[in-house]
Amino acid sequence: MTELARNDQTWRAWLLSDRPQSRRQASLGRLYSGWRTFSRNRLAMVGLAIILALIVVAVFANALAPYSPYEGDLARTRLLPPSAAHWLGTDDQGRDILSRIIHGSRITLFVVVLVAILAAPIGLLVGTVAGYAGGWVDSALMRVTDIFLAFPRLILALAFVAALGPGIENAVIAIAITSWPPYARIARAETLTVRRADYIAAVELMGASSWRIVFRHIMPLCLASVIVRVTLDMAGIILTAAGLGFLGLGAQPPMPEWGALISNGRLYVLDQWWVAAAPGAAIFIVSLAFNLLGDGLRDALDPKAGS
Amino acid sequence: MSQSVLTRRAGSLATAAAIAALIAGAGAALAATPKDTLVVAWAIDDIITMDPAESFEISAGEIMGNSYDRLVRFDVNDPSKLSGDLAKSWKVSDDGKTYTFELKPGLKFASGNPITAEDVAFSLQRAVQIDKSPAFILTQFGFSKDNVKDKIKATGDLTLTIEVNQPYAPSFVLNCLTANVAAVVDKKLVMSKEQNGDLGYAWLKTNYAGSGPLKVREWRANEILALERNDNYHGEKSKLARVIYRHVKEASTQRLLLEKGDADVARNLTPQDLDALASNKDIKTTATPKGTVYYISLNQKNPNLAKPEVREAFKYLLDYSGISGTLIKNIGIEHQNFLPVGLLGASTEKPYKLDVNKAKELLAKAGLPNGFKVTFDVRTTQPVQGIAENFQQTAKRAGIDIEILPGDGRQTLTKYRARQHDLYIGQWGADYWDPHTNADTFARNPDNSDDAKSKPLAWRNAWDIPELTKKADAAVLERDADKRKALYEDMQADFRKTSPFVMIYQMNEVAAYRANVGGLKLGPTSDSTYMFTVTKQ
Repeated sequence: MTELARNDQTWRAWLLSDRPQSRRQASLGRLYSGWRTFSRNRLAMVGLAIILALIVVAVFANALAPYSPYEGDLARTRLLPPSAAHWLGTDDQGRDILSRIIHGSRITLFVVVLVAILAAPIGLLVGTVAGYAGGWVDSALMRVTDIFLAFPRLILALAFVAALGPGIENAVIAIAITSWPPYARIARAETLTVRRADYIAAVELMGASSWRIVFRHIMPLCLASVIVRVTLDMAGIILTAAGLGFLGLGAQPPMPEWGALISNGRLYVLDQWWVAAAPGAAIFIVSLAFNLLGDGLRDALDPKAGS
Repeated sequence: MSQSVLTRRAGSLATAAAIAALIAGAGAALAATPKDTLVVAWAIDDIITMDPAESFEISAGEIMGNSYDRLVRFDVNDPSKLSGDLAKSWKVSDDGKTYTFELKPGLKFASGNPITAEDVAFSLQRAVQIDKSPAFILTQFGFSKDNVKDKIKATGDLTLTIEVNQPYAPSFVLNCLTANVAAVVDKKLVMSKEQNGDLGYAWLKTNYAGSGPLKVREWRANEILALERNDNYHGEKSKLARVIYRHVKEASTQRLLLEKGDADVARNLTPQDLDALASNKDIKTTATPKGTVYYISLNQKNPNLAKPEVREAFKYLLDYSGISGTLIKNIGIEHQNFLPVGLLGASTEKPYKLDVNKAKELLAKAGLPNGFKVTFDVRTTQPVQGIAENFQQTAKRAGIDIEILPGDGRQTLTKYRARQHDLYIGQWGADYWDPHTNADTFARNPDNSDDAKSKPLAWRNAWDIPELTKKADAAVLERDADKRKALYEDMQADFRKTSPFVMIYQMNEVAAYRANVGGLKLGPTSDSTYMFTVTKQ
């Protein structure tokens, strides 16, 4: 026990040392102090817990769902109110709503992760290149960004899906296409603050190529703020995906996408409120969780905030 | 393509905004509709034109029935009785091929132009020459673009003759003349708007040139359709000054509008809405079994769907009893024949029920034991969307993977008419009250080539049926009612077994209306629901 406690003590001292012996020690130390800031924020921890729960639910959907999300019984289980057998009731096809929401979490996670993977690198690249290169490259890239920013996001996504055809993959592409511009802007702003820093000049003098400077010396510094922004945008991404699903342009039946579930439930909203309420609550909780997490990350990752 | 999708989305957004406005305004004072105006909440997104020579959709049919006159109309209470509308009298020549009509004198169009035999002849000729979907109702009598001017002629100011190519049963010919495609348009007005010899086709798409009890004032697609009293009408004038159809897609929105008094009549209520409204004493309902049947059809251009065993397997994959007890409760009656109950010879046989194992056997016999993938074009209104999703589930149990492609009425219908679908779910309303109307479209396909002249449902599904076509042709010339009935029963037996149509149910149309509305009666066909007889206190 005491052994362990002392071990703990030394680990902490090693991590928090203000004279790190290696790069790894420095970055791990940085990470640890970030985590300390983050974990002090109770709300952020709640958000993180919900997101982790969402991931667990999505991974183990088959084991967790009490019924099949695709098959119902019209004659016996149609539009039943919440009960012990069906915790969240059943929908108009007699399907268990809880099971559908559990399976729908996979689709939500799939959309969020894919959009983040597609949009964040595009924004990061465009922003850092524009910021570092300056001149006409900067102007050209930023005007393109302006054009994308000038459209309302959902409308632009609608137009893209209309052109590409309905479906969850196309919805992801449409959302990704519409969500990179803010990341480009942030990355450019960050780049401009470090553009004239001495260490950049030093690397330039050592003969590093422009690409190397952008990728190895500028991007890592922009990463933190982009990650924060992406996390805060997750809620918006979920809502856009649900909006597309609601309008019939996202996931197609019988996929249990949450927006499509609400769309289906709106026919019964007057007499069978639970059909629309449950997926609505799911979207609300997950969106809120991403926002809380994003807030916590911002406090933890912002190098200028200090701690 | 993408533009139409965009406008559709805009429509959905507008509906969403309307719902939001409704919810926000729920606490506000009741906004009753004006005393002389009837507001009807109805899904009217299937309307693609206001031209009677082209219009062939359910809701457009009702508009045409109210706004255009024709030579003869049938009695809504007893559809077997015909009475003159513009025609004062008619007689048939001894050889059964020439019909002579005499018009009532001194009648006027809504525009003020007099109605002459020339207008009637022009309208019928025009429908044949423009040759859109409903033209077959006329061309089946042997008219073509080349000969129609000789076959249909005005012989005087108020007399005209129509010469048909075979001695049909007279009631069949006259019944066809009650259809919307035989509606009489104002020749002078239409020809004044003609562009490049189109017989006014472009103009009449969104305009009105008729003489009916109500005239079309305005049509904004997927939004509103306003009818107004025609003071030049020859019969008893409409009691209401205006009838306004509001496009309301959601049944729950229709119900809210009706309960709040923002609409007087709601037309697309769901079974659970009707259950809930039953206890409301301000709301009454009226119902009529319609000449409309719902079906799922299998395009025979798809090689898998063309296999006879697959066609039969699909008929075992629909949960008939489950659907009729829930999704279509109050609004439909399970029915597995192409003739709706009420027409001569209609059968009530129901051999099929949900039987997944039987379907699997049939699929194995067809060489598809592991099922296959297929797409399904579905209009996004209830109950068809619910039925489609249920069918998707039950078909999956037999290994058939159905991908639903949702769309609005116009999109799915256009694709269906071009036979580019795999599966389609739709409805068919009788065009006139004679069994030939359904036999002609479900069981008759004289030319299955892509550029065929008439394009009945059998053609739309590329179902090539020379034998059944012959039977249908024989039945329409049979003057003995009992023999004719037997012929139709025989055709239905054949159809049940071999057709690529999974017949689901016959529609029981229900309208809910506020208690101060009187005289509302739904007609047996889509074009015989008359709004001009409705009163309001």
